[in-house]
Amino acid sequence: MAEVTRERWTSRAPFIFAAIGSAIGLGNVWRFPYITYEYGGGTFLIPYVIGLLVLGIPWMIMEFGMGRYFQKGAPGAFEGIGKKWEWLGWWPVWVAFLIVTYYTVVIAWSLRYAISSATVAWGMGQAGAEAAGDFFFGTVLQLSDGPTVLGPPVWLILGLLAFVWLVIFLIMFRGARVIGRVSIGLVILPWLLLIVLFVRGVTLPGALDGLNFYLAPDFAVLGDVEVWFAAFSQIAFTLSLGMAGMVAYGSFIARKADVNNSAIITSFSDSATAFFAGFAVFSTVGFIMQAMNIPIGEVSASGLGLAFVTYPVAVSMMPGGNALVGILFFLCLFFLGTTSAYFLAYGGVAVPLMDKFGWSRVKATLIVTIVSFLVGILYTTQGGLYWLDMVDRMAAFYGLLITGAIACLVIGWGFGPAKLREHNNETSDIRMGAWWDWFIRIIVPLGLIFVVIWGGFKTDLAEQYGGYEVGALGGSDIVWLLLGVTLIFSILLSLIKTKTAGGGE
Amino acid sequence: MTTGAIISTIVIWVIFLGGLGFCISRIGRGGEWED
Repeated sequence: MAEVTRERWTSRAPFIFAAIGSAIGLGNVWRFPYITYEYGGGTFLIPYVIGLLVLGIPWMIMEFGMGRYFQKGAPGAFEGIGKKWEWLGWWPVWVAFLIVTYYTVVIAWSLRYAISSATVAWGMGQAGAEAAGDFFFGTVLQLSDGPTVLGPPVWLILGLLAFVWLVIFLIMFRGARVIGRVSIGLVILPWLLLIVLFVRGVTLPGALDGLNFYLAPDFAVLGDVEVWFAAFSQIAFTLSLGMAGMVAYGSFIARKADVNNSAIITSFSDSATAFFAGFAVFSTVGFIMQAMNIPIGEVSASGLGLAFVTYPVAVSMMPGGNALVGILFFLCLFFLGTTSAYFLAYGGVAVPLMDKFGWSRVKATLIVTIVSFLVGILYTTQGGLYWLDMVDRMAAFYGLLITGAIACLVIGWGFGPAKLREHNNETSDIRMGAWWDWFIRIIVPLGLIFVVIWGGFKTDLAEQYGGYEVGALGGSDIVWLLLGVTLIFSILLSLIKTKTAGGGE
Repeated sequence: MTTGAIISTIVIWVIFLGGLGFCISRIGRGGEWED
């Protein structure tokens, strides 16, 4: 390895908070609580914790370790293993790029709702609750009939998207030192907001009923493969692995600094945040059930539906402080999303470009900002939600799982996990045993492949994903086309000569 | 809340916070954060 000047985290805290910030995101609030309720309540946490220990933590240690060992982002690290593997480092870069192009649009929606919450623009009381869905799809998104009916951009969302990218650029253009400092604030702030939302939630009538649905155990579900799939998939998605960024963040760790303990702290912090967010969400769900006298099945939702329809319903029905609760909730989403977005844009995309082409940090971050913003305009159009859904399926499902599984196999059977483990152990607070090697060789890739097959091939082969049609192509065709194109681009990028041995400063 | 929900809550917090507490107690036994 050539000795190069590499940017560094100033100490452990900025690094840990930057890593936690990248891991905790919108999914902690809008996916984890619903999946926990759906798949056995408290019992779901058994496969979840097992997934965290056998899949998430070993995988995160591998990505941090690769970055520190090779002192490069993902493509440079795989190039270090062998030039023939560099493409495998570029593929997750495309995954990160595609994710950040639409993730920032969702952050822009959050800002839109923070603004609209000031007047509870979708309406108060029962009438507002009933109008929440139409407000999101009709007023905010102005959703068209299909992916081929794009229409003009929704200008307010486009303007907010530009603001989001300005914020991201201002944080990332000065690199790890600023990212670390900013992340401490941007992680603590949503934690504080979640505490406020938790207190508001549990003091609402009906809150305990909601928490019972969230947490009451049902041990019979442990025999159901679907529950294990849900737990493993949540672990695979929640830690921001398989998106190239954690390798870059790992490359900023000082040569004598800890890797293993930092990875474990990051993983547990992410899970604890998700678990706590569930209290804020499901206490509110319980309130809606009681206030509107409807069963849990008609209230609980995940993803966009929870954030932009269910929660606004609760805001409309609350006995007081409606606007403030709405503003705090959507600001919380904004902060949670922003830390993940600059992680994807900087660690996932800009750092690999700096490593490869020797670009300055300002040049790389400016190019990433402009190009990502331009691509993001697609999702601000009236047909944007359909494309967002398909690109999400390609990148945040197939992309990260497939590249993650292959990366583990290459490290496990090609590079040699013992080499990486000993490198990590030399300076880490907690040492990994030889068992870790076998987790990287077999358990983690098997877990990821299981999720791909069970949640992907099995359903997508049966029917076209989402039922979308773009000309003669269906949703699944678009997803696989995108995967193929990004793979080809990754191979092409790997054929270009690397112009710098370092990068980063 | 039902007894099952309360027990789930306690057990899960013990796992998450216990795990975090253990890791935080180990800080400083390994490397240094300056090259």
